[in-house]
Amino acid sequence: MRVQQITWSERSGWTPKFAPGPASLVLYFGTRQALADGARYDELRDMFPAAHILGCSTGGQINNSDVNDDEIVAAAVTFDATSLRLCRETVDDPQKSQECGEAIGRALAAADLAAVFVLSDGLNVNGSALVAGITKVIGPAVPLTGGLAGDGADFQETLVGGDCAPRTRTIAAVGLYGSAVRVGHGSAGGWDMFGPRRKVTKSVGNVLFELDGQPALDLYERYLGPDESKELPGSALLFPIQVYDLAHPDSAVVRTVLAIDRDRRSMTFAGDVPQGWTAQLMRGNLDRLVAGAAEAARQARSGREARDPGDHLSILVSCIGRRLLMGQRTIEEAEAVATELGAATPRLGFYSYGEISPHARSGRCELHNQTMTVTSLAEVA
Amino acid sequence: MHKLLAQQLAKATDESGSVDHAKLTGLVTAAYEDFDRDRRRTDRSMSLMIEEIDTVQRNLERTVVERTKELRARESELCAQNTRFDAALSNMSQGLVMFDADACVVICNQRYIAMYGLEADDIRPGRTLRYLLERRTARGTFSGDPEHFVGRLCATIKAGQTTTEFVELDDGRTIAIVSQPMADGGWVATHEDVTERRRAEMKIVHMARHDALTDLPNRVLLRERLSEALLHVERGQRLAVLYVDLDQFKNVNDSLGHPVGDELLRAVAGRLRGCVAETDTICRVGGDEFCIIQTEVGDATDAERLAVRIAEAIRAPYDLHGHLAVIDASIGIALAPADGTDATELIKNADMALYGAKADGRGVYKFFEADMDARMKERRTVELALRRAFDKGEFELYYQPMLNLDTGEVRCCEALLRWHHPTRGMVSPAEFIPVAEDIGLIVALGEWVIRRACADAARWPAQVSVSVNLSPTQLVNKGLLPAVLGALAASQLPPDRLELEITEAVLMQNSEVTLKVLHQLRSLGIRISMDDFGTGYSSLSYLRSFPFDKIKIDRCFIKGLGESSDAGAIVEAVAGLADSLRMTTTAEGVETREQLDLVRKLGCTDVQGFFYSPPVPVHELTKILAEEPRGKIAAA
Repeated sequence: MRVQQITWSERSGWTPKFAPGPASLVLYFGTRQALADGARYDELRDMFPAAHILGCSTGGQINNSDVNDDEIVAAAVTFDATSLRLCRETVDDPQKSQECGEAIGRALAAADLAAVFVLSDGLNVNGSALVAGITKVIGPAVPLTGGLAGDGADFQETLVGGDCAPRTRTIAAVGLYGSAVRVGHGSAGGWDMFGPRRKVTKSVGNVLFELDGQPALDLYERYLGPDESKELPGSALLFPIQVYDLAHPDSAVVRTVLAIDRDRRSMTFAGDVPQGWTAQLMRGNLDRLVAGAAEAARQARSGREARDPGDHLSILVSCIGRRLLMGQRTIEEAEAVATELGAATPRLGFYSYGEISPHARSGRCELHNQTMTVTSLAEVA
Repeated sequence: MHKLLAQQLAKATDESGSVDHAKLTGLVTAAYEDFDRDRRRTDRSMSLMIEEIDTVQRNLERTVVERTKELRARESELCAQNTRFDAALSNMSQGLVMFDADACVVICNQRYIAMYGLEADDIRPGRTLRYLLERRTARGTFSGDPEHFVGRLCATIKAGQTTTEFVELDDGRTIAIVSQPMADGGWVATHEDVTERRRAEMKIVHMARHDALTDLPNRVLLRERLSEALLHVERGQRLAVLYVDLDQFKNVNDSLGHPVGDELLRAVAGRLRGCVAETDTICRVGGDEFCIIQTEVGDATDAERLAVRIAEAIRAPYDLHGHLAVIDASIGIALAPADGTDATELIKNADMALYGAKADGRGVYKFFEADMDARMKERRTVELALRRAFDKGEFELYYQPMLNLDTGEVRCCEALLRWHHPTRGMVSPAEFIPVAEDIGLIVALGEWVIRRACADAARWPAQVSVSVNLSPTQLVNKGLLPAVLGALAASQLPPDRLELEITEAVLMQNSEVTLKVLHQLRSLGIRISMDDFGTGYSSLSYLRSFPFDKIKIDRCFIKGLGESSDAGAIVEAVAGLADSLRMTTTAEGVETREQLDLVRKLGCTDVQGFFYSPPVPVHELTKILAEEPRGKIAAA
């Protein structure tokens, strides 16, 4: 397989410039503002007429070892022995997330399905339900990775495009088929739990109302302080929560806030916060977050052999919450990944509203938050 | 240089290498602001966390205090409960031991320890049952093989069965032990001293089958023993049932009172016990009735011999706290298998034989005869007729005159009871008097006789007295004196014209009471005669006991006159004796001229007999009284 990385900037446009050539798959990530008019998609389409073009809006781009907000990053991949199929679903109602997932699963399911990469609307979808729907159809053996599109710290609108201009309320996924493709994946967080264990005493799906009988929003406002409270829901990204079922500690997942309702004192998370589960606040420490990113890269690398021929592509889907915390030093996690995977490996990625990857411990595909996920692709001869 | 600064510098430097200071400053300032914000956030988190932890800690402490209070309360409640249990355990009347599944003592109470003479150390928790039994053996409160006992008990406990055992200790106590299995494989044993209860139970059982007064078996036990004994009869053995009835017992009871009567019964029971063999059974079946089952009977003579022994034993006089009493026994005998093989049948037949014995005059034994049933029925008929007779006035008094040998005058007439049965005609007194005695009619009948006799005599010439026979029963009856007084008053007969004849038998029993009554009667002016003189035990001694007015020499002596000189000698002697004691003598049963002359010669003062006149109805008597008697009996 061969990977060509291209970048778009306001100043320079697409660089390097390609003549229209063969490519099987093109992935692209950019800010909502940059993608909104669909012009970039058209240009990519011109450049790669035969490829499946899949991309979404973000909370920042990862371009190898660089993190920025003003570029659109893309990678064109040419597979030798792997076939692809792309499907697209519109989700009108977050309640239909699982249905959509199942539809996607059915569209892609096949005996030789080797992996699925999915990009989803980040604000109108219940990520856990979506993942559950897809895995219900394709089964636990097929690795499912991907992420929820972002909108910086604005949380207004996210765009996803699959063989079309990026739009809202869209989910697009590509399936890789055949025995030639090798997929490695890894996910790690690096956040520290702190404070007492609390009980989720009132929640409905991914909307959390109360912890230990008190409104969850009260707790967050207390911890954020008056100034940062004004910046909810974005500022809530600084204190994700880890939730788990006491009976199954392996089930622990990190959840980030997507929206708040000051009247109902409720907080909407990217994935389910089941009632009765235990919740604990988390906080981020730069060094450990960076170490987490390295760990994710290590997991992904162990999934395949360095001597697999051709280029390897690594797709990094990290979380906007990590970006918010690390600030200018976010770049260090991209560098940590580079150290693990090798600086020569093409890497691209984005900061999302939710990461999709098999759980490092349980192996089950989950929606994660505040997590660095790495998917690496290679082909064997 | 700090990595971040290098990055920032790189960002702020354009392709030409010139640094955009404003940009750089901006980036650096932003970085500092980030750090500040981070620091403040961390600080804030820390404080809030400390606060939360503090609250949690306080809550925990409060919870601990509450829990401790709860625990303390529960502890003290448990303590109180333990005290209560202890009290209950110590005060319960039973001994209690609890064992665990390994047959080791868990707990026991003081009562158990005391019951078996143990020491507290013998039975402390953990001691095995085996050890316990060995200790008890040493103290004499357990006998048996401990190993075997433990094995047996554990097996029943394992089977989940509750067992109740009664154990007799060497010191005579009976302990009831209930062993109740528990769910965990152990068990609880309760020990209760039931010695007293057992004794009471046994006593009740005993009393259900024994007579309280004499401690002899009662009817219930009689039946049981008899049925049992009859089983042997099936195999070819014989047995006899003797039904014993005490004659004149009622008289003793009436005259001397019930306590003396009871004493008498006890004495009789004792004498009966002395008569029978070890294998025989004596039962008291009624007021004065006893029944004896005689086993080891070879033939009827064995039963006969026993009956004779019994009768002799009973006849011997009794000294009951100074009171002398004499009774007799009537005995009915039935033999098995000849007279029956069933208890009911045998008893019934023995009873009928007894009835026959009584009918025969009492004081005898009688074997069951097949036709007794018929005879009994006949006698019953007589009884009924007798009762009716009394009501319907079928009785009549006949009189037999007694003449003075000197004057030839009728001095006295003996009243004799006659019964005109409507269909059978005249029934002799020998037949109906005993029956009357049996059915208790004799007293009423006697009183009628006295009244009638006085009434009749009142119409006779003034020198003629009337003589009435009194039976022993009448004499001890409290109503006699009033009856006599009543009869005299009603008839206006002067007391000295009334004579009462009694036999020795009267004096034989209850002599004190009898004598008292006789004296009372005599003090009224009534004259008392001794009838059938010479036929009883010791007529002479009885002459001494009471001032009789007249002796009536029994007819058997008169009959013998002329045949042997002995009879004459006796008559002469009696006449002489009577004369010395200022008594008149009447010769009974004079039927011939020779006898008449002889008795006159021998010294008798009066005669009575067919020679002069048989007993006649009252209207015929008046004729005789009007006659000149001298002719007939005048001396030749």
